[in-house]
Amino acid sequence: MTSTFDPQAGQTVPQAQLTRPSGAAPATAVPPTPYRLSGARWWREVGWRHVVGIVAVAFAVFPILYLVSAALNPLGSLVSTTLVPRSASLANFRALFGDASRPFPRWLLNTLVVCVAVTFVQLFCSALAAYAFSRFRFKGRRLGLLSLLLVMLFPQILAAVALFILFTDLGEIVPSIGLNTLTGYILVLCGFALGQVWLIKGFFDAVPRSLDEAATMDGAGHATIFFRIILPLITPILAVSGLLAFVGVIGEFLLASIFLRDTNVKTLAVGLFGIIDADRSNNLGLFAAGSLLTALPVVLLFQYLQRYIVGGLTAGGVKG
Amino acid sequence: MLKINRTLAALAGVALLTTACGGGGESGSTATEPEAAPSAAESGVPTRGDADLVIWTDDLKIDAVKKVADGFGETNGISVDVQAITDTQSNFVTANTAGNGPDVVLGAHDWIGNLVQNGAIDPLQLTPDQLGEYSDVAVKATTYDEQLYGLPYGVESLVLYRNTDMVPEAPATLDDAFTAGQAVVAAGKAESAFLLPVGEQGDAYHMQPLYTSAGGYVFGRNAEGDYDPTDLGVGKPASLEAAKRIAALGEKGSKVLSRSVSGDNNISLFAAGKAPFLLSGPWAKGDVEKAGFGYEIQPVPGFKGLAPAKPFAGVQAFFVASKGKNKAFAQEFVANTMNTPEAMQTMFDMANLPPALTALQESAGASDPDLKAYLDAANAGEPMPAIPQMQSVFEPLGKAYAAIVGGADPVATMQATGKTITDTIAS
Amino acid sequence: MVQTLDTEPTQDLLAPPPPTGPTRISVLLLKVLLLGTVIGLAFTMLPTMLSQGRWGYLVALLLIVVAIVATYATKRGLPAKYLLPGTLLLVTLVVYPAVSTAQVSLTNFGDGTRTTQEQTVAQIIGASVVQTPDSPRYNLTVATTGSKTDGPFAFLLVDPLDEDVFVGTEDGLEELEGATVDGGFVTEADGYELLTPVEVNQAASVLGQFTVPTEEGAIRQLGIRQAFEGSSPLEYDEGAATITNTSTGVVYSVQQQGDREFFVAPDGSRLSAQSWRANVGLRNYERALTDSRISGDFLRIFVWTVVFATLSVVLTFTVGLLLAVTMNDPRVRGQRLYRSVLILPYAVPGFIMILIWSSFWNRDFGLINDLTGLDVNWLGNATAAKIAVLITNLWLGFPYMFIVATGALQAIPGDIKEAATMDGASGFFSLRKITFPLVLVTTAPLLVATFAFNFNNYNIIYLLTEGGPFTPDNPQAGGTDILISYTIRLAFGPNGAQFGFASSIAILLFVLTGVIAAIQFRFTRALEDVH
Repeated sequence: MTSTFDPQAGQTVPQAQLTRPSGAAPATAVPPTPYRLSGARWWREVGWRHVVGIVAVAFAVFPILYLVSAALNPLGSLVSTTLVPRSASLANFRALFGDASRPFPRWLLNTLVVCVAVTFVQLFCSALAAYAFSRFRFKGRRLGLLSLLLVMLFPQILAAVALFILFTDLGEIVPSIGLNTLTGYILVLCGFALGQVWLIKGFFDAVPRSLDEAATMDGAGHATIFFRIILPLITPILAVSGLLAFVGVIGEFLLASIFLRDTNVKTLAVGLFGIIDADRSNNLGLFAAGSLLTALPVVLLFQYLQRYIVGGLTAGGVKG
Repeated sequence: MLKINRTLAALAGVALLTTACGGGGESGSTATEPEAAPSAAESGVPTRGDADLVIWTDDLKIDAVKKVADGFGETNGISVDVQAITDTQSNFVTANTAGNGPDVVLGAHDWIGNLVQNGAIDPLQLTPDQLGEYSDVAVKATTYDEQLYGLPYGVESLVLYRNTDMVPEAPATLDDAFTAGQAVVAAGKAESAFLLPVGEQGDAYHMQPLYTSAGGYVFGRNAEGDYDPTDLGVGKPASLEAAKRIAALGEKGSKVLSRSVSGDNNISLFAAGKAPFLLSGPWAKGDVEKAGFGYEIQPVPGFKGLAPAKPFAGVQAFFVASKGKNKAFAQEFVANTMNTPEAMQTMFDMANLPPALTALQESAGASDPDLKAYLDAANAGEPMPAIPQMQSVFEPLGKAYAAIVGGADPVATMQATGKTITDTIAS
Repeated sequence: MVQTLDTEPTQDLLAPPPPTGPTRISVLLLKVLLLGTVIGLAFTMLPTMLSQGRWGYLVALLLIVVAIVATYATKRGLPAKYLLPGTLLLVTLVVYPAVSTAQVSLTNFGDGTRTTQEQTVAQIIGASVVQTPDSPRYNLTVATTGSKTDGPFAFLLVDPLDEDVFVGTEDGLEELEGATVDGGFVTEADGYELLTPVEVNQAASVLGQFTVPTEEGAIRQLGIRQAFEGSSPLEYDEGAATITNTSTGVVYSVQQQGDREFFVAPDGSRLSAQSWRANVGLRNYERALTDSRISGDFLRIFVWTVVFATLSVVLTFTVGLLLAVTMNDPRVRGQRLYRSVLILPYAVPGFIMILIWSSFWNRDFGLINDLTGLDVNWLGNATAAKIAVLITNLWLGFPYMFIVATGALQAIPGDIKEAATMDGASGFFSLRKITFPLVLVTTAPLLVATFAFNFNNYNIIYLLTEGGPFTPDNPQAGGTDILISYTIRLAFGPNGAQFGFASSIAILLFVLTGVIAAIQFRFTRALEDVH
């Protein structure tokens, strides 16, 4: 039970050294050298974590296992699916990729285009706004922060008709952002561009102002300070909010079902719902296979971002 | 100052990572698609709402409609776009009002009342000769306020599926079926005697055969033979009798009916061999066939000594939108192209619904006993009421059935439900 | 180099930045380029807006361009430069639809009232046309003596039975001599230009009004290639706003019934179920606030809504934070794997998993009773159903909290933790007294947002229980109904979609959630925390 195998430790230290203001104590609690714990102490300090982890994993994973089992079940029905797969057929996956009237790869591509675009816009706008809220003092700042949160509370499901009419009109003026286009759908989701402001602002607050001030003295403009000094410091929270934004978009169904009609512009959520909606008990296997593949980008993204999220373990130490 | 590069690299990494996934996923598809990635919106959508004929349907029928529509497009030299929509009815009404809807929409006949009260569809002008080609129940169902609003192409109704490996003899009455089913359960060969979806929300559609056989009705008919919203059968004495019968079959009675059986699992339970009987429609056939045991289909029988069961008949039809951008082509497509034996044959072959065209019913039904059973059941059924007031009936009535099956007092529940529905219709 | 900078004494941030040289030009160029693009884009939209007469959008577009130019072309208003992009998107795509929803709440817009009165009359009269008995169904060729889009049009008709050829104009029907007929259709006629199917379709709006008057009624186009003779018994009198059925003599006049107007006969029967849109003032709000059914159910549902939202936040946050703390020890082997698996519930789109979960809770065939050996009718018993909803929502929501808490934990300075450990604080004590409060400070706004989200979490209720179970005497309000699922059922249920009513509910719920969230903010003093 040593820490030398921890892949994060080695990667994040250099970054932390670059960003940590001098004078702060080494923020990491990672022991630099491997050592062994006695059995009892290991249980007390580490072992129980595995117990908790395994219980949590069991809870988290059993519905997913069921989904896997359904996806591998060629019969593809609710009743014939058990937690432990009774068969391992890839028929459902093959069917997903082999049916021209249900172009699953196309849906996947559309979904990823939408997710990446919306996530990018959301991160960009949110980070900008969060910086303003954190660094500048201006009239209406507190009101702005509060109303931002309140506006997000509007039950969107009931504003769908208004959005529909808005985009019908927009589509007549500029056809490429109307209904039934991916750009229009991306645009409507960008309405929540400030969705991550609160989260990011909290982290800006933790970045000491002395950094900005010093850079100002150095002759840097405000934009330079923001993009070159501040933004890199908050990589962990950008990673977190990026993931949250991505997941928020990938599962969006309500607006997608209203906006996207052509088979070729559908996202996974609408496309898959169409499959299960048409015949719920018969298509479960297909649906499950599609759902699993939908989860894949998120899992991969998390894999990739994990080191940034946890990388903050040391980088975040700037607050001290 | 290395940091900005790092952040950008992270973002670029995300983009790369995700497009890489997309690229990987593409491999099963045509080679031209991946390049559309950055500009999918412009290049990926060859025909948007501005095609010369836009048709809305669902996943199950899109291939069939596409085939006929493509032929129509070729003949007339126009572009045709067939789209699979979820929640078609409400999306259609909203889109049509906004002037952004399709030209033709496929749906069930019981939408007509709502579509007409929203001015969303135009009547069709079929000649009496043309109409005579379709089965009576199909024409009756698509006629509303004395106008024909839809071109029927499919008729559906509930039938009784039986696992012949468990029960070889066809039951003559519902009671026979229940007895036979309970015997199979008692012998340990099945978990459920009779699969009729109830669920926690109830299911008035599937309960209708039992309800009507015991004398119940939903709406009476007026002098012209149309459903009369002021004559509600729920809460009337016959409905109370029916409710008592249903209660006797419920969880506190013979346990033939259970809320655990729902629309989500009833078909797959039957296909998994867990019950000898299934009350369902033609849509269950795919699963039943795949299941690999012997089965037979018959119209739903009635209770012993009572009226025959009258399940609702549902008719699938083509509607012409009132505010479509291409109304001339829409009328032409529905009234002249779809309204032909060839197109109806295509719909039947590819969408696999029991046909509404009489000639097709006879030719296809002759060689297919299953289809014959579906058609017999549908032709003998009552069209589901299309009047908008029907929206006030299904939900409360279903919930009443769920409560009764769960053990609530049948008479009080039915009376309360009758009052709820009457109040809602009046408001 | 950052490290050395930090030792500088604190400076006044408002001090003017020292002048700098060469970079300015490139920045300026970039600015000009970007602003130019914005203005250019706006200009390309202008012609369409002008030709379609979309003045509202035109004004909005101009305002947006002015805002962008004013913000970025000048040196003033530094905060605005950072706030504008997101705010523009928020205002146009969230605030504006919310405002138009508020406008809809003052109307009776819904099923049966989606059209204007004028459209309704046209629709009713148009739908009443019936074919004249025994009249022929003509083969139609549309022709024009003028323009192919505006007419004047003529119908070149062939009676398929006796092959007689006619020409129909606005003046009436007469026989046509010298036309070439092929396959039952006129293919050539002197003085007439024939329209192709596509041209007929394009002229549909004009042709739709074009009829050839006859003794028995009028000949109308039917599709592309057919025409029929038909008539409507209904006549509309615009001045009196009445519709008369000429065959029965009944006069239908406009009358108010319920929240809408209909054409009604003297005996009270409606001509059609189709009504039209009208302003109803605050009547929707009145109805929402005074309806006896709503007030009877409100308290119970409101309490459960608050309990549901609160417990959802508390449970997911507790579990998420505990797991984050547990996994936040570098000595745990397989940390990465644990974390990756723990976020799986978050990775699969929520609505899919809710559908799967709803089958898990089935009494006889569900996984939960199967695995636990219980025989609970989860979704059939109000208390059990509430527990089922909470557990499902915990499963769906804890990974979010896990991610957020994992992120937030990184912000806790290591030396504080070390200090606590050195002071001999137990793991639990340091968690409760140090970690928890610090994480709470960072995440408080998110918790409030999560509360608000769950307060209006329609999906989980609708897809899991549909609000059920219901008692026999009340099919309107179920055991797990929260306010939004309950009111949506009222607004979109038994009487069709009632958008006006639904919008008033949206506004009321918005106010309610806002007030609760604002109170919570006061309470957590999250705003006070930031100077």
